[in-house]
Amino acid sequence: MRKKFELRKTFGSFFTNYLVLVAIVLLVLVTMIVEPKFLSSGNLTNIMRQFGPLSMVALGMTFVIIGGFIDLSVAGTFSLVAVVTVSLIDPIGQVPALIAGLLLGALCGFFNSVLILTAGALTQAEALFITFGMSLVYGAFALITTGGAVLNMRDITSSISVFEGIGQGTVGIFTVSFLIFLVCLILLYFFQSKTVMGRAINLTGGNKTAARLAGIPVDVSIMVIYTLSGLMAALGAVNQFARVTTAAPVMGKGFETNAILAVVVGGTSLKGGKGSVLRTVLGTLLIILMSNCLNLLGVTPYMQNVTKGGILVLAIWLDNRKPL
Amino acid sequence: MSTISDEILSVKDISKAFPGVKALDNVSFSVRRGTVHGLVGENGAGKSTLMKILSGVYPKDSGTIIFDGKKIESTTPIKSMNSGLAIIYQELNLVNSLSVGENVFLGRFSQMGGMRGIHSKARVLLDSIDCRIDTHRLVDELSVSEKQMVEIAKALSFESKLIIMDEPSSSLTCDEMKELAKIIRQLKGQGISIIYISHKLDEIFDFCDIVTIMRDGQIIDTKATAELTRGEMISDMVGRTIENEYPERPQNVGETLMEVKSINTRKLHNISFEVRKGEILGLVGLVGAGRTEIVRAIFGADKARGHEIKLDGKTVIIRKPVQAINAGLGFVSEDRKLQGLVLPFSVEQNISMGNLDKVAKHGVLRRAAEKEIADKYVRALNIKTPTIKTKVQSLSGGNQQKCIIGRWLETGPRVFIMDEPTRGIDVGAKYEIYMLMKEIAEKEGAIILISSELPEVLNMSNRVLTIFEGRITGEFDPQMVSADQVMESALGLCSLEVHERAQEI
Repeated sequence: MRKKFELRKTFGSFFTNYLVLVAIVLLVLVTMIVEPKFLSSGNLTNIMRQFGPLSMVALGMTFVIIGGFIDLSVAGTFSLVAVVTVSLIDPIGQVPALIAGLLLGALCGFFNSVLILTAGALTQAEALFITFGMSLVYGAFALITTGGAVLNMRDITSSISVFEGIGQGTVGIFTVSFLIFLVCLILLYFFQSKTVMGRAINLTGGNKTAARLAGIPVDVSIMVIYTLSGLMAALGAVNQFARVTTAAPVMGKGFETNAILAVVVGGTSLKGGKGSVLRTVLGTLLIILMSNCLNLLGVTPYMQNVTKGGILVLAIWLDNRKPL
Repeated sequence: MSTISDEILSVKDISKAFPGVKALDNVSFSVRRGTVHGLVGENGAGKSTLMKILSGVYPKDSGTIIFDGKKIESTTPIKSMNSGLAIIYQELNLVNSLSVGENVFLGRFSQMGGMRGIHSKARVLLDSIDCRIDTHRLVDELSVSEKQMVEIAKALSFESKLIIMDEPSSSLTCDEMKELAKIIRQLKGQGISIIYISHKLDEIFDFCDIVTIMRDGQIIDTKATAELTRGEMISDMVGRTIENEYPERPQNVGETLMEVKSINTRKLHNISFEVRKGEILGLVGLVGAGRTEIVRAIFGADKARGHEIKLDGKTVIIRKPVQAINAGLGFVSEDRKLQGLVLPFSVEQNISMGNLDKVAKHGVLRRAAEKEIADKYVRALNIKTPTIKTKVQSLSGGNQQKCIIGRWLETGPRVFIMDEPTRGIDVGAKYEIYMLMKEIAEKEGAIILISSELPEVLNMSNRVLTIFEGRITGEFDPQMVSADQVMESALGLCSLEVHERAQEI
C-alpha cells in the first residue's frame, strides 16, 4: 500500500514538475501529424528566431518573479530601447548605439526599483501598478522619440552589419540570436544558482522580512532584479528589431504578458522564492511552439489568446496544488 | 435541575491542543446568571482560546458546554450570537466605513425593516445603555470607548444573555472607564451575565463578583473576589517554579558591554539601559507593553531616531539590520515563521543565510563550505532533521528555532537578542535552548531575553527590567525579589512611584 502510494506521489510530483515538458512533446507530436510543414527547416528557423526576443525578456522577468515582484514596464522599455537604438545608429555609429540601447534598458529598470523602494511599495501588487505606470511613461517616450512613426532600418545610411548579423546571421544550424540566448542562459543560470547575489534574490522572494533581519541586502536585491529585467528587455528589443528590420514605438506591447506567461507556465511561482531560469526556457518554448502550431493549424489570433489565458490560469492553479 | 437554571454557562472538561502545545487542559467552570465573572491569567494561559471555543471560532477537542440549559455540540460565531452569547474582542469587530446603526444590525437589514428600522431600533438600544451617539455617524469617527458602546448595543440586539468582554479597558481613559463600569452594572441589573477578561487587577476587584484564575491552560481557582487578596491572585497567576526546569544562571557577569540611551518612538518613552558582559537581561511586560519594539529599535528593524547605542564604549550607528549585525548584534525574532525562517527553503540554506559572505569567495557560493556550516550546527545543536536538504517547514518548532540560533551562532554576535525564544516549543527542547543561552552568555556574550512566560525570564535572567506602556518601570535582581513584585511592576501598579522618583532625579 505504502509503496503504491509513494509511487503515485513520485509520479505525481514528476507530473506537476515536468508538465511543461509533457505538454511540449504532446504539442509537437500532434502538430507533426496534423501539419507536416511544422518540421520544414524554414519553420524551425522561424521558431528559433521568434524564440530569441521573448526568451530574453522572460529570463529577466524570471528574476523579478523569483524575487517576489513583477515587472510590467518591460513593454515600454522594449519599445523605447528599440527606437532610441535605431535612431542613434546614424549619429553615433552602430556599436555605440547598441551599447547605449542596452544601458538605457538597464537604466529604465534601475529607475523602477528606485521608485519602488522610495515608495516603500514592497508588495507584488504595488510593484505591478508602479511598473504598469512606468510602462506607459517609457512607451510615451518611445512615441515622442519617433513622433509616432515606424523607423525602418533601410533608411539608415551608415553600416548596420552588427544588427544584420544579430537578426539574420547563422552559425552552423543555429541562428545568432539563439546563440546570444544560450550565452545569456548559461550566465544567468550561474548567477542564479552559484552566486551570493542570486541566493539573496531567492531569499528575498522567499521571505523579505526574515531575509532583511538576517542581514540579506534586500534593497540591493530589488535593484538588481529590476536592472537585470530592464537590461534583458533591451537585449530582447535589439534582437527583435534586428530581425524585423523596423523599430516601431509600440513594438514591445504584449512582451510583458507573454514573458510573465512563459515564466509562470514554466513553473516559477508567482509567490516568489521558487523557480529557475531553466524552467522559463521550457515555458517560453511552450508559448512559442503553441502560437506556431496554432498558426499552422489556422487558428485565429483571437482564439490563440483564449488558449494563452487558459494556460496561465491552469499554471497558477497547478502551482497552488503543488505539495510544499 | 435547579443548578441549571442558576447557571447561564457551564463548561466541563474542555481540552484543546494546537500542534505542539496543549492550550487547554480539562478546563471546567461555570458562570451564574446576572454575575460579572472575572477571568485572569498571564498571556498564553489559555483565556483567549477558551473564549474562542465558547464563541465558536475554534472547535473543541473534547468536553461539554452547556449554555442556557442547552448542550452545545458544535457552534459557529453566528450561531452562538443568535443563541445569546456575544463576545466583544479587544480589537473591536466593526466595519469602519459603515454607520453606527448599520453596524449594530450588520447583515440583518431586511429583518429590521430597512434603513429606517435599523436606525430607530439602534437608537432604542443605545438609549438603554444611556449612550448618546448619533446612529448615523460613521464608526470610523468614533473614539474607542464609543465603538465599545456600539459593540455592546450590537450584543444587546441579539438579546444576549452572556457577554464576553476581552480586555475592554486596555485603551480606555479613566473617565471612559467609569462610563464602562456604569454600563456593566446596568447590564448586570438586567440579568445579563458578563465574563470580564482583564490584566488590570483593580478592575477585577471593582467589577467582578467571582474570579477564575487560569495558568498554563488550566483553571487554578475560582473564588468570590471578596475572599481573595491581590497577592493571592498574583501568585496564582504567576504560579510555582518547577525545580530543574532551568539550568543555573550564567555566573560571571562583567562590566558594561552595551549601552542604550533614550529610545523614543510613538510607543516607547525614554528607554535607556545597559547590558553587561556575560549576563542574561530579561525584559518583562505584557504583550503590547513595548518589549519587542525596544529590541526592534535597537536592531534597526523599526525606525527610531535620536537614540544612542554604545558597544564597548564606542558609539555605533544602526539604522538597518545589516548594520546591527556588523556591529555585533544578533536577533532571534518573535515570530519564527514570519520573521525568522524562509519556510520553503532547506535547513542548510536557512542556517547559511546569515553568513553568505563566509561561504562565498568573490561572490560565488561554495557549496562545500555551506554544507560544512550546516552540518556543524545540526550536530552541535542536535537539530533533528532527516538531511540538511530537508525543507525547514517540515521540522518541529524546537528544531526550527535551533536552525535560527545556529545561523546566529555562526555570525557570532556579542549581544544576542532573543524574543520569545521558546514559544510553542515542548519542554525538552526548551531545556536545550536554555542551555545554549547559558553557554552564549558565558562565552563573553550577553543576551537580552524577552518572554511572556514569567518563570522563564525570572529563572534565566541575571537582571530583569519591567516594561509597562512603553516605559521602563523597574529593575530587579530576580534572585532577590518575588515573582509577585516583578509582576506588579510589569502591570504598572507601582509605576507611579517610579515616575515620582524619575521626576526627583
